[in-house]
Amino acid sequence: MMTRILPRVAAIGCLAILAASCDLEQTPVSATNAEAVFGTEAGLQLYTNSFTENLPSVDGVMAGDDMSDYLAVRSPSNFVRPGVYTPTSIGSWSWTALRNINFFLASNKGDGLAPEVRNHYNGIARFYRAMFYFNKVKQYGDVPWIDHALDVNDSALFAGRNKRDVVMSHVLEDLDSAVAYIRTETDASHTTITKDVALAYKSRVALFEGTFRKYHANGLATGLGGTANALLQQAADAAQKVMDRAHFTLYTGGGPDNSYRQLFNSETAPASETMLVYSEDVNQGVRHDGNWIYTSATTGVGASFLKQFINTYLKIDGTPFTDTPGYDTLAFMTEVKGRDKRLQQTIRMGDYKRLNAGVLVPAPPAFSQTLTGYMPIKWTVDDFSYDAGATNTNDVPIFRYAEVLLNLAEAKAELGTMTAADWTKTVGALRARAGITGGLTALPTQVDAYLKTTYFPDISNPVILEVRRERGIELQLEGLRFQDLVRWKHGELMAMPWRGFYVPSANQSLDLNQDGTPDVYFYVGTAPASQTAGVLYINVSGGTQQRSLQGGDHGDLEWLMNIQRAWDDKLYLNPISATDLAVNPKLGQNPGW
Amino acid sequence: MRTLRLLIPGLTLLLALSARNAHAQQGRISGTVTDHQASMPIPSAQVRVQGLNVTAITDEQGRFVLNNVPAGTATVVAQRLGYVMGQSQVTVAGGGAATVSFQLTRAPLALDQVVTIGYGTADRRNLTSAVEQVNGEELATRPVANLTQGLEGMLPNVNIRPMDGKPIQSPVINIRGMTSIGTGGSALVLVDGVEGDPASINPNDVESITVLKDASSAAVYGARGAFGVLLITTKRPKANQLLINYGMTYGLKQPTAVPDFVTDGYTYAKMFAQAFQDWQGFAAQNFNKTMVFNQAFLDSLKARSAAGMPSSVQVGADGNYVYYGNTDWMKLLYKDRVPSVDQNFSVARATDNAQFMVSGRYLGQDGLFRYNSDDFTQKNLRANGAIQMASWLNVRSSFDYSNRKYHNPLNVGEGGGVWRNLEDNTQPLSALYNPDGTLTASAAYSVGDLAYGKNGIDYDRDVYRSTTGAVGDFFGKRLQITSDFTFQKQTDNNQQRRVPVPYSTRPGTVAYLGAATNDLQNDDQNTNYIATNLYGEYNTTLANKHSVRAMAGVNYEEHTWDRLLAQRNGLIFPDASDLNLALGTASTITGGYERWNVLGSFTRLNYSYDDRYLLEFTGRYDGSSKFPQDQRFAFFPSVSGAWRVSQEPFWKVSPKLVNDLRLRASWGTMGNGNVGAYQFQQTFGISQSGMIVNGTKPNQTRAPAVLPNGLTWETAATTNVGLDFDMLDNRLTFSGDVYTRKTTNMYTAALTPPAVFGAAPPRGNYADLATKGWELSLGWQDGFQLARKPATYGIRVSLSDNHANILKYNNPNGLLSDYRVGQQIGETWGFVTEGLFKDSADVASHANQSYLSNGCCGYKAGDLKFKDLNGDGKIDPGQSTLANHGDLQIIGNTTPRYAFAVNLNGGWRGLSISSFFQGVGKQQWHPSTEADYFWGQYNRPYDLIPTWQLKPGVMWTPDNPNQDAFLPRLLGYSANGSNRSVGAVQTKYMMNIAYVRLKNLQVGYDLPTKFLSRLGSRQATVYVSAENLWTYSPLYKYVKDVDVESISAGSDLILTSGTSGDGLNYPMMKTFVTGLKLTF
Repeated sequence: MMTRILPRVAAIGCLAILAASCDLEQTPVSATNAEAVFGTEAGLQLYTNSFTENLPSVDGVMAGDDMSDYLAVRSPSNFVRPGVYTPTSIGSWSWTALRNINFFLASNKGDGLAPEVRNHYNGIARFYRAMFYFNKVKQYGDVPWIDHALDVNDSALFAGRNKRDVVMSHVLEDLDSAVAYIRTETDASHTTITKDVALAYKSRVALFEGTFRKYHANGLATGLGGTANALLQQAADAAQKVMDRAHFTLYTGGGPDNSYRQLFNSETAPASETMLVYSEDVNQGVRHDGNWIYTSATTGVGASFLKQFINTYLKIDGTPFTDTPGYDTLAFMTEVKGRDKRLQQTIRMGDYKRLNAGVLVPAPPAFSQTLTGYMPIKWTVDDFSYDAGATNTNDVPIFRYAEVLLNLAEAKAELGTMTAADWTKTVGALRARAGITGGLTALPTQVDAYLKTTYFPDISNPVILEVRRERGIELQLEGLRFQDLVRWKHGELMAMPWRGFYVPSANQSLDLNQDGTPDVYFYVGTAPASQTAGVLYINVSGGTQQRSLQGGDHGDLEWLMNIQRAWDDKLYLNPISATDLAVNPKLGQNPGW
Repeated sequence: MRTLRLLIPGLTLLLALSARNAHAQQGRISGTVTDHQASMPIPSAQVRVQGLNVTAITDEQGRFVLNNVPAGTATVVAQRLGYVMGQSQVTVAGGGAATVSFQLTRAPLALDQVVTIGYGTADRRNLTSAVEQVNGEELATRPVANLTQGLEGMLPNVNIRPMDGKPIQSPVINIRGMTSIGTGGSALVLVDGVEGDPASINPNDVESITVLKDASSAAVYGARGAFGVLLITTKRPKANQLLINYGMTYGLKQPTAVPDFVTDGYTYAKMFAQAFQDWQGFAAQNFNKTMVFNQAFLDSLKARSAAGMPSSVQVGADGNYVYYGNTDWMKLLYKDRVPSVDQNFSVARATDNAQFMVSGRYLGQDGLFRYNSDDFTQKNLRANGAIQMASWLNVRSSFDYSNRKYHNPLNVGEGGGVWRNLEDNTQPLSALYNPDGTLTASAAYSVGDLAYGKNGIDYDRDVYRSTTGAVGDFFGKRLQITSDFTFQKQTDNNQQRRVPVPYSTRPGTVAYLGAATNDLQNDDQNTNYIATNLYGEYNTTLANKHSVRAMAGVNYEEHTWDRLLAQRNGLIFPDASDLNLALGTASTITGGYERWNVLGSFTRLNYSYDDRYLLEFTGRYDGSSKFPQDQRFAFFPSVSGAWRVSQEPFWKVSPKLVNDLRLRASWGTMGNGNVGAYQFQQTFGISQSGMIVNGTKPNQTRAPAVLPNGLTWETAATTNVGLDFDMLDNRLTFSGDVYTRKTTNMYTAALTPPAVFGAAPPRGNYADLATKGWELSLGWQDGFQLARKPATYGIRVSLSDNHANILKYNNPNGLLSDYRVGQQIGETWGFVTEGLFKDSADVASHANQSYLSNGCCGYKAGDLKFKDLNGDGKIDPGQSTLANHGDLQIIGNTTPRYAFAVNLNGGWRGLSISSFFQGVGKQQWHPSTEADYFWGQYNRPYDLIPTWQLKPGVMWTPDNPNQDAFLPRLLGYSANGSNRSVGAVQTKYMMNIAYVRLKNLQVGYDLPTKFLSRLGSRQATVYVSAENLWTYSPLYKYVKDVDVESISAGSDLILTSGTSGDGLNYPMMKTFVTGLKLTF
C-alpha cells in the first residue's frame, strides 16, 4: 500500500520541493557595511563626503545677507517684526549632522590603515564638528556639548546646556586638531578642506567669539570679557599663519575696474584668492539662481542697498564721500562718480550694460526690481538669458583670502596692535585693488563722523571704524553681515529706515545712466496721462503706497515706512523652540524670550 | 536527487493508471432545473455528476443532458448562482437513460454556498469563523479602471479609500480598521492562493472574492495575513460545452466634480490685493513668482472691467507683457469628457479529463488632461487548464500576463502635481499663450508645461505569472494532497523625461523654466516572487455523526526586488527619449536590492458532531528572514467553534420561518511580520552628493540608522463572535460579527528623544492597540409574478464600524503630538470657535489670541474668536500635553465610522436593474493648510478663489458683518499654518464628510432567444452601467464643486508624498458605459 502511495505523494510534492533551499538568512547587498567604510581609505573618504552638509548652502552665501542692516527687501523678515517671531513659531533644532560626525570619530579606528590616514579624516571630521558647533553657538549661545553618538539611554539626552565658553573652547580645540591633522596643503580645485581653510575658519571663529565677549561683556558674555583678547590673538595668529603660508594672494588680474567683480561672476573663481568654492557646472547640472533672485520682480527678496550704506564707499582718493558738502542731496548719477571702484562692481550705475542676445544694451537700475535704486550685481552675470530659473554657472566662493586679511586687521585693531605694515598688507591692499589712491599705507587717525554717528557711536578708535567700513564694503552679500552686527552688538542697525537714492524732484523723469533716454519717473498723486515708452512710472505718494519720498515731493526714496521693524536685545540669540523645551525643560530659555 | 528518484516511478505509475477506466459501460441522465418559488426554468445552471468530470449547462428552458455517465448510482448536483445547491441520487444502467428534476430554492444573500477559505473550500453553513464572499459577476460590469477601485464598499469592513481617481491609483485594502501604528499592515491579497495585485487582474476573470476577517480564518496564512486576507478566485471552465464569451463596452468619463474658480481677473486681483495687504500690512509687489502687481495695475483692471473690455495681453512700459485676462484654467486643464473602450473575451471548455480556458481583455482610456494626455491602457491574457492524468491525479497550470501603461505628465517648474502648481503660480489674469504663441510664465508652471507636452513619466508594468500544481486523491478521496508552485515576475519600467519649458515675459525673449532639469531617467525595477505550497487534507466521518477534517501543509515564499535606475542630463533635443541622446556629465546610476523569504507550516483540524457542533483549531509556525535569528520563528494558534442551533432536535421552528441559525465564536493570534527587510542589521546607504568636489559630484555615506532595541513579531489577537441565520424560506439572510483585535508589541519608536539625539529614535516592540468593531449584512431576495411572468428582486444591506484605542505607548509626558495611552485613533484636538469678532471692543474684551497669528495687525472685526476654555485670559495650547492642553480639546474624529452599502436589484422578462449605494455614516475632516479648494486665498493670497466663497453671506465682509458667517474676514496666509487663526484646527472647520454615493447603476436586457439564434448566440445582454453617478454629503452645504472622497484625501500620491494639500489630486471620475455581452 505505502509503496504505491509514497511515490504518488512525491509526484505531487515535487513541485514544492523546487523551492527547498529555504535559508531564512538574508543580508543586504545594496548597502555597505562598517568594515568596508572604516577599513579602507576610500571608505573614510566616502563617509567624510557627507560632512559637506555643514557648509552654508549656496543661497546661504549668495543671499545670506537678505536679513541684514544694509539691504531693503520686499517684505521684512519676521525676525525683526515685534511679536511675530516666537518660540512657538519656529521649528525644532537639528542635530543630525553632529551625530553623523561623532559616529565617524568613534568608528574611525582599527589596524588596517596608517594612523596618519585616520588622523587626516579625523581632522576633516573635527573641522566640520567645529563648524556645526560654531553655528549652534551663534544661534543659541549656550548649547549642550556632545562628543559622541548618543545612545537612547544616555543621560546627556536630557542634560542642560553647556556655557558658551565651554563649547567654544571645544570648537577651537577641534579646529586646532583639524589644522594639525589635515594633510592637504593645497587643493587646486578649492573644493576640499585644506590646512589653509581650517586656519582661515579658525580666524573667523576666534574673531567672532573675541569681539562677542568684548562687546557683550555686560550682557550675554558676562564674566567672559577678560577672555576676549586671548581669542582675538588666536584670530590674528590664525590669519597670520595663512598669510605666512603664502598659498594665496589678492586677485588683481582684472585691474581695479574688474578684479573685484570677477571674484563672483567668473565661470571659475580666480584661483589666487579663492580658498573654498561652490563649483558650478552646467554639465554636472549644478547651477544657482543668482541672476534670478537679483533681477526678478517676483523671485528673491528684491535685495536693494540702502543709501546709508552706499554712503560709506570712499572716494577714489581715499577720503570719505560723506565729507563732500551736500553729499546727501546729490542725484544718483552724480553721487556714484569718483568712488571706490568696488561700487561700480557692486551695483548698477554709470554706463553699466548687459548682454541681450549678444548685443550690449544699457542697463540702468530697474525699478521693477530695485526698491532703493542701488541694485546689486555682485552675483549676477550680465547675460539676460540667465535671468530666469537656476541657470547660473558662475562659481560661488565660500571662503576667500580677503576675509583672512580683514580678520587679521580687525583682530589687531581690537587688540590695538595694528601697525602701518599690517594696514598696508590688509585694508590698504584691498583698497588698492579697488583703485583707491590715498590712505593705503598709514593707519587712519581721523574718526569718520558719518560712520560713528550712523553706525558705531560706541567706537572712537579710527582704526576699528575704518576696518569695519572696509569689512562691510568688501564682504557685502557674502552672508556674514548679520553675525558681524551681533558680535559688535549693533543689532539696532537692523531697524534703520530703508532709504534709497535722492530724488531731486518728483513728477519728472530721470536718466539714471545718462545715455540720453529717460528711465524712470517718480510721481506723487496720479500718474501723468501721457507717458513715454520705456519709462517706468513709479508712485511715491506714500500712504497705502509702499514707496514715498522723504520730503514728500523730493528727497530720499523710502520703502515700507509704515512697517514697524524693531530691534530687541533678546534677538542676539534665537529662542529655544517650544517643542524642544517641552521635551527637555532643562534646556532653559534664552534671555528675553 | 532523492526527489527525482521518487518522481520517476511516480510519473510512470501515473501514466499506467490513467488508462484504467477508459471503456466502462455508460449511460445518460437528462432533466430540468426550475426555481422552487417562481416555478420558472433556471437557465445556465451547472449540472454535474459528483466525483466525475461530467457536466452540463441548462438551456433557456432549464433542460440538461449528461452524457457518458458510468453505469451505477451517481450523485447528480445542480448549481446556479443565487440558489442553494440541489443534489439527487440517480441510478443509470449501462447504455440506459435516467431523468431527474431539480427544484432549487433561492440561496441566501445571492451567494454561493461553497465559500473559498484558506487552502480549501467550506460550506457556508459550516463556517466557524468570520468569512464573507461576493460573486465576481458583480464586478465584471463595473466600469472601473482597476479592480481595487471597484472593491470599495463591496464587502462590509473591507475598507478602501480611493484617494483619487487616477487610473493607476491602487488604494490600500484595509480589513476591520486600524491595524498597527508600528509597522502598519494591510490586507493580504491572494489570487488563487498566491499573493497578487488585484489591479493587474481582468475583472471578467474573477469568480469570487472572499474576505477572511478574523484570526481563525486567516491563521493559515500566518505572518502576512495578520490583518485579514482577501482571496480572489478566478474562473475555471465548468461545462462540457464550448463556451465563447465576448463583451465590450464603450464609455465616457468625466470628473465627478471640477472646482469652480473665479475667472474674472479684476475680482481676483482685487481680492488678492486686499488679502495680501490685510495680512502683511503692506501692499503686494507680485502674484507669487509669475506676475508683478501694483496699484496702477489694479486701477487699470478696474477701469477695464467697468468699461467691459475683453481679455487682452499688452506690452507695458518696461517692455514686459501685461496680462488682462479672465482665464478658466480648469477648462484648459481637463477635457470635458474622455472615452474608454473595454473588450474582453473568453473561450472555455471542460471535458471529462481536461478543462481549458483562455481569456483576454483590453482596456483603453483616454487621458483627462487636455494637453499631454494621461492615456491609460491595460491588457490581460490568461490561460488555465487542468488534466485528469489519472483517476487520482489532476495536474493544472495557469499562465497570466498583464500589461499596464500610463503616461503621467510632469511639471518641471516646481515638480509635484499640476493642481498645486496651478494654485500657487497661475492667475486667471494670465493666459496660456502670449500673442506670439509663446507660453506665459504663469502657464509654464502648470498647464503650459502640459501644453508644451514633453515632460512626463511613462509607467509601464508587465506582470507574468505562472502557477503549476497537482492534486492527488488517496484512500477513496478521503485524503487529498495538493501542491503548487508559482513564479511571478513583475517588471516596472518607468521612464521620466524633464526638459526646460520655454516661456516669454517680453516679446522676443525666451526664458526657460526648470533649466536645471534637463534629463532622462530610466527606472527599471524587477520583482521576482516565488511561492510554493504543499498540503494535504484528510476527511472522514465516523458513525455518521463525527465528521473530522485535518489539514496540514507547508508554505514557502521568496520575494526579490532589484532596481537599476539610470539618469543622465543634457538632452540633445527636447524630444529625445533614449539615454544615448543625453549627453551631459551629470549622471546618476542607482542600484537597489531586497530579498526576504518566509517559511511556514500550518495545520487546521475540524471536528463536527452531527452537523450541530463545529470546532476548528488552526495553527501556524512561521519563520521570516526579517527577524534576527533568535526571533525568527514563532507559533500562532487559533480556535473557533460554531453551534448550528437550528440543527438541534429541540429546534421545532418551521423551516418556512427559520431555515438555519448559527452562532460562531473564535479566538486566535497572528504574527505581523510587516517590517523592513534588514531592520536589525547595520547598513550604510550610498548616495550622491549635490556638491562638486574635485570636478565630480562624489558619492557619500553616513551614519547608519540606529538599530532597534530588539525586534520581534507584532501580535494581533482577534476575538470574534458571530451570528448567522437564514429565514423565511431562505429569502431573508443575516450575518453579523462583533470583534476585538488587540495588536500588541507594535514596532514603534521607544520614546521621542530630544532633538540632540540627532537621529530617528530606535524602534522596538513597545506599543499596544485595540481595535473594536462589528459588521453585519442583511439580504432579502424574492420573486413574484408580474403580468404572468416571473419577476425577481433583492436587496442587500451591509453596515460596519470600527474604532481603535492605544493601550500602551511610551509617552510619559502625554505629548499631544505623539500617540498616548487612551487615545482614540483619529481623535482631533483643536480650539473651540465661538464665532467672529463683532468689533474692536469685542476683541479688546476677549482673551488674548496672539498665539494664533492673524498677520501684521492683530485681530479685528470679522476675525475668528476662540473660546478661552481654561479661563487664563489667553488662547493657546498650553504645553500641548494631556496634563496641560490650554484651550485645546477633542473636537472630533477623522476615522470613518458606520460604512454602509446597499444593493438593490430586480429582474423581469430579461430586463434587469441594479443599483449600488455606498457611503460612510460619520466622519470628520479638517482641511489641511494647503487645501486650496477649500481655503482659496485664505491659504495664500495668490491662490484661485472658489466661487462658493463669494456666495452672498458666506464670507464676512464689512457689507456682511454677520458674526456667524462661515468664513471670516479675508486674510491671505491666515490658513497657511496651523498656528494661524484660520489654519488652526478648530471646531468651525471640522467638516462633516459623511456621504452616500450611488456607486453604480445598471440596466440590462437579455435579448430574446429568437434574435439570438440569428446571431448564432446562446445568450446576449445589452446594458448600460454608470459609476459614481450621484453623491450627497453634508460637506456640500458650502463646498459643492468638489468630490467628498478626493477633497479629504491628500495631494497626488503618485507624484508627491500626499502632503501638498488636501484635494489637490486627480479627480474622481463619473463613468457611463454601454456594453454588450455575448455568449456563443
